[in-house]
Amino acid sequence: MYRQGVADFPYFLGIDRLDQIATPDDRVCVLNILGGESRTVTPVSHAFSGGNVVFGTSPGRSGQVLKTPTGDIPVFNTVLEGLKAGYRFNTGVVYLPPSGVRDGVAELIRVNPDLRKIVIITEKIAVHDAREIRAMAQTSGIDIVGGNCLGVADSWSRVRIGGALGGDHPEESLIKGSVAVFSNSGGFTTTIAQYMATAGWGTTTLISSGKDVYIQYGARDFAHAFGNDPRSRAAVLYVEPGGYYERGIEWSKPVVACVVGRWKSRLTRAVGHAGAMAGSGDSAEDKERWFMEAFGVSGIFTPATPHVSVKGALVTNIADIPAALTAVMALNGDSPDFSPRGSLKLKPWIANDQGLQLPSEIALPVVTAPSPYDQQIAGLSQQIGAVIARQGMKDKSGASVMDAQTQVTSVHGHTVLDLALQPLEAMFALPLVHEIADANDRALLDVAVAAEVNLVGDPILVATDAARAAGNAPNAIMAVAAGITGPRRLERALACAQALIEPFARSGLRDGRDEGFDLSKIQVDDETRRLFLATADEADDPRPEAMLDAIAARGGRSVFLNFLQGLGARVSRDAILAAITTTIAWGPLVRKRISRLTAETLPWYLRLYGVMVGATIPGQHHQSGSLWGIPRAERFQDWTMADLCCLAMTGKRPAPNEALYIQILIGLLISNGPGAISAQGAKGAVAADGPQTPERVQINKAMMGFLTHSGYSHGGNGFEGMAFLLDQFRDSGLTDPANPNHGLDLRAMARRFAVAYKAEKRHAKELGQEVRALPGVHHPVFKGKPENFDPRERFIARFMEERGEYNVFHDFYRHLVREMFEVGASPYVFCVNVDAIIAALLLSVLWKDYQSGALTSRDLETAAFTVFLFGRMIGAAAEIDDHLNRGRNMDTRTPASACGHVL
Amino acid sequence: MQVTGMLTGARLLAHVGFPTSEILGPDATEDQIQGLIDRHGLIFIKPLFRGGVGKKGKAGLIGRARDLGTALAEKERLYFAEHRHGNAVAKANGVTFEAGVPAEHEVYFAITDDTRFRAPTMTLTHRGGVDIEELDKSEIASVPFDALTGMKAFVVANALTEIGAPREIISPLTQHLPKLWELMHHYGMTTLELNPIRMMPGRDGRLTPIACDLKCGFDRDDPRVGRLGLPDYLFAADISEFEQEVNQLRTHQGQSDVFVINEKGTILAPTFGGGANSLVTEVLGDVAIISSDFGGNPPYEKMKAVASICYRHFLKQTNVLFIIGGKSNNTDILETFRGMGDALREHFARHGPVPLYVVVGRGGPNLVRGMGNLADTLDSLGVPYRFFGFDSAISEVVNHAKQVDQWMRGGGRAEIARAMNISV
Repeated sequence: MYRQGVADFPYFLGIDRLDQIATPDDRVCVLNILGGESRTVTPVSHAFSGGNVVFGTSPGRSGQVLKTPTGDIPVFNTVLEGLKAGYRFNTGVVYLPPSGVRDGVAELIRVNPDLRKIVIITEKIAVHDAREIRAMAQTSGIDIVGGNCLGVADSWSRVRIGGALGGDHPEESLIKGSVAVFSNSGGFTTTIAQYMATAGWGTTTLISSGKDVYIQYGARDFAHAFGNDPRSRAAVLYVEPGGYYERGIEWSKPVVACVVGRWKSRLTRAVGHAGAMAGSGDSAEDKERWFMEAFGVSGIFTPATPHVSVKGALVTNIADIPAALTAVMALNGDSPDFSPRGSLKLKPWIANDQGLQLPSEIALPVVTAPSPYDQQIAGLSQQIGAVIARQGMKDKSGASVMDAQTQVTSVHGHTVLDLALQPLEAMFALPLVHEIADANDRALLDVAVAAEVNLVGDPILVATDAARAAGNAPNAIMAVAAGITGPRRLERALACAQALIEPFARSGLRDGRDEGFDLSKIQVDDETRRLFLATADEADDPRPEAMLDAIAARGGRSVFLNFLQGLGARVSRDAILAAITTTIAWGPLVRKRISRLTAETLPWYLRLYGVMVGATIPGQHHQSGSLWGIPRAERFQDWTMADLCCLAMTGKRPAPNEALYIQILIGLLISNGPGAISAQGAKGAVAADGPQTPERVQINKAMMGFLTHSGYSHGGNGFEGMAFLLDQFRDSGLTDPANPNHGLDLRAMARRFAVAYKAEKRHAKELGQEVRALPGVHHPVFKGKPENFDPRERFIARFMEERGEYNVFHDFYRHLVREMFEVGASPYVFCVNVDAIIAALLLSVLWKDYQSGALTSRDLETAAFTVFLFGRMIGAAAEIDDHLNRGRNMDTRTPASACGHVL
Repeated sequence: MQVTGMLTGARLLAHVGFPTSEILGPDATEDQIQGLIDRHGLIFIKPLFRGGVGKKGKAGLIGRARDLGTALAEKERLYFAEHRHGNAVAKANGVTFEAGVPAEHEVYFAITDDTRFRAPTMTLTHRGGVDIEELDKSEIASVPFDALTGMKAFVVANALTEIGAPREIISPLTQHLPKLWELMHHYGMTTLELNPIRMMPGRDGRLTPIACDLKCGFDRDDPRVGRLGLPDYLFAADISEFEQEVNQLRTHQGQSDVFVINEKGTILAPTFGGGANSLVTEVLGDVAIISSDFGGNPPYEKMKAVASICYRHFLKQTNVLFIIGGKSNNTDILETFRGMGDALREHFARHGPVPLYVVVGRGGPNLVRGMGNLADTLDSLGVPYRFFGFDSAISEVVNHAKQVDQWMRGGGRAEIARAMNISV
């Protein structure tokens, strides 16, 4: 049953011409006007259309209004209430949820005799409801567009009804012209209009038809109104598979049809898009054929194969629409509406290759986006560095993670095993710049830290000597030094870093080592300039010049140092430190690997590194111009961090292989993940200061947190392995642990111990006592196989073997685990664990001095603890920086409900 | 969501009292099967498929038996039968035993929404039992009817008269067929087909229509389907594990159906907008892993949940994460990009990083803020990317994504893995 509408259609159709679809006279009522989607879309439509929405409904919200740029839209509980209030409308827009759409349509039809049109935006309406909606509208003589559509718009009269055609800036896409658009896809309705503008074609009426089984305003209905619309010289259709809507239509004017969706026939299931069940004569291929027959063309139009007739062209890619349209219209003697606007070529707006060298066809250069997006993107680039979301960081870390299977910890994506093979300077930088430092950056780091190690004249030295004399372990001594390296001592260095980052952030500098960079772009005011320069009080400080000389001698390059040296006056040590840290940080900063906060706090970490290493050297060795007898210039220009660390432990510069051992030891000890007590101490200290106000977090106090959370059990136990080895080798006559021709029968030594250990075990068992565990042997994870290996020990052992390095203590351990099994002291061959290799390497470095009496066993114990602290200092820096960037105030506390009480 | 066969079909038809043949399921005992043979003489053994599988007879997948031995042999033959139709392969898991219905007349009947009429339409012929496509059009009645008044008896009677149906079948069909509209319309079906309906003579010679096979499709957007209380597993064969998981999050706000295109594909393309989805899926071809439409302004939580599922199933094999749509009209780019970025960060944290390149093509509200947010996330993960605005042709951006995929296949993936410090 239907009312007879225009023409002789066997169903009701009320719209005779396209200009009747969205007219300036239409008055609109929006159902569910305060719903999430309508709330953002309706104000734009209303304003664009000059205020065509008379009221909206939202049950229970009568009396509220929807604010729009052109005035408030009143809201009523029901349509009837709005009508009774005196409002009149001829067009309904439905934003109701799917289950309410049918009833909403019924309401519009039943209570408003003036109703002529309904636009249904809602998607996922049940077919059942769509059927009934169709029947209701047909019976009552109402035109419906949708559902599951974005409504209709008219570029001539600047009216938009229903959904969001043209998005939040409809004037950008809805450009007046001569082409009508009918599209199964809402999004593509706008996109097609945009594409056409690139060939100079504007639009008349645009209809987003929706693509449900019931397309209430279909292609045939459109064809009729298009034929009668004198404004429209041509039409573009975007069509998807499903339904017979486009079959057998005779088009009275040129048409470009875009049929997309061949892929759908590969799916054997029904596809929700465009309705009908796949594979029933309404596939994409079928529809292509219908249009080809209608246009009298033999193929699909592409730029390479321009099949086209005066009647039209078929395309299968929307990018081909503009060219096809121009070609069809040329055959009709028609030219575009206006000059082409823009182009559809690839234009990357934002890109980051993360330092990769990509092939040129992929590494397309970034172009300036059209206004206003260009200013917005420029705004983004002003914001230098990564932006990191905050979250509760209790027992979590963005810096470190331990693989439970391999027990190998990674820091910023690098396993400690890999780190152990990197130069020590690179390790020290990693937690802060998240990347492995290159040779230039390492040279700068060496100088920066070397300049902080000698504490002569500094109260720190008095305090640390006093702490040492009081019998403290090295962690407590270092904590004293860290405690004095407080915020005020770093105030100027941090300010210098900020003052360097600020102007360079806007300069386009990509590489902090780019010495060709045009520094004339960088301007600073007098106050900032003064910040960088040494004060009169610092006239006697020889370090600025020594640092600059050392950097020059090492061939270090830095834009920031160049800038400082161009200031024409003596630069302070703080400024040089800041220039070094900013150089190292710059690449990761512009690549957004690290935050600006990290880059700005870097000087604090480097100073702490230097001071903490320096604090382990007794006060008498800190002299003006020399440290433990090493002249300043030599230390600054030649020494690496591994050399300095070794100096702190042994009082001398290590041989190359000894430096390597120290580097490996420190690398292995960097981190055990956020669950380690040392990490927890550091994280707790940051949480307690409140990372959400990062400027108040005392990084030196966080370092103390790590130090107070290490101790004789956690860190100091490294000596146990050495003590065990000392027992075994004390009277062996060993002179050089690195010489494989040592002349010792390691197997016999190991067997002797194994036999004794077995007896000891049996005895302990008889007495019901606990058997002592052997340091360096066995592991709770790597066990249970006939022969067991700790992968960390294997990794280092393989590396050493490949380099031809030999270590007698490690060799002894390998014999020991086998002999223990042979004599029955262990049920299978235990693994030699990573602690063994640490003990073996360290003892190898210290052996000769121990044998000569230069070092006591107490010194060995201190050295073992110190090397742990050096390593963990790096891991702690990573956790501190991570927690500072990601954490929330007091986020490490444990809720009372999770705490226990014991008696 | 489709159902075929009488095991479930008989249950459905019982809701409206439409007569069906007697049927036993795969768990029938030998005594029950013997009893069925005793009562009906002839029984049919049919493999039991989940979802929509048709044309079993043509494929030789219907067994006939008049004795228990044959019945059991056919059961063995058909229990795990495979059915191939185009690309789709279905595997049976069980058989049904269905009573043969002696009849002179076989009727074909279907109701569906016909887009030619934009109305529910009945298709009916008294020459049923064969493929409807094989019949002359004059023998088939295709009659649209008003959805509000429904398929009434007179619609059936008029149609049967029109095609010259035998007199004796008109009355019983007029009496029974309108029930099927009730079933179709009130239980969320989009299509219902009975073929054949065998007209079984009763003692008084009066014919009763007996449904002997049923196919129907359900509308997943219609909550009325729930009234039938059908178990979920019936539809499980329709979809992969991924599809099942991700489509559970389907609501009216955002995200239409998601399909797996190629489980071994290398471009994971969360696509926004039906049109974009069609274009992207078509141009990507076999390198696409999924076909999706996440448009419709999904809120942050939902976008993140959907992205997490996609990543969990497919990120490991993905070369290019390709976030693509036209210039969105109302989808908030910041919310959707933030959801996908956060899900990626969490995925990397939980499952480890993967070598990845991200290509984005998008426009819409909050575009630059959204791009900035995603860029921050990718920067922090060390993932390279290129973002295109709405002024680059979407089809060109798709081709660019394919180009990146090619480069990844030719060594780029290993290069990115090295840069991201991932061992491959």
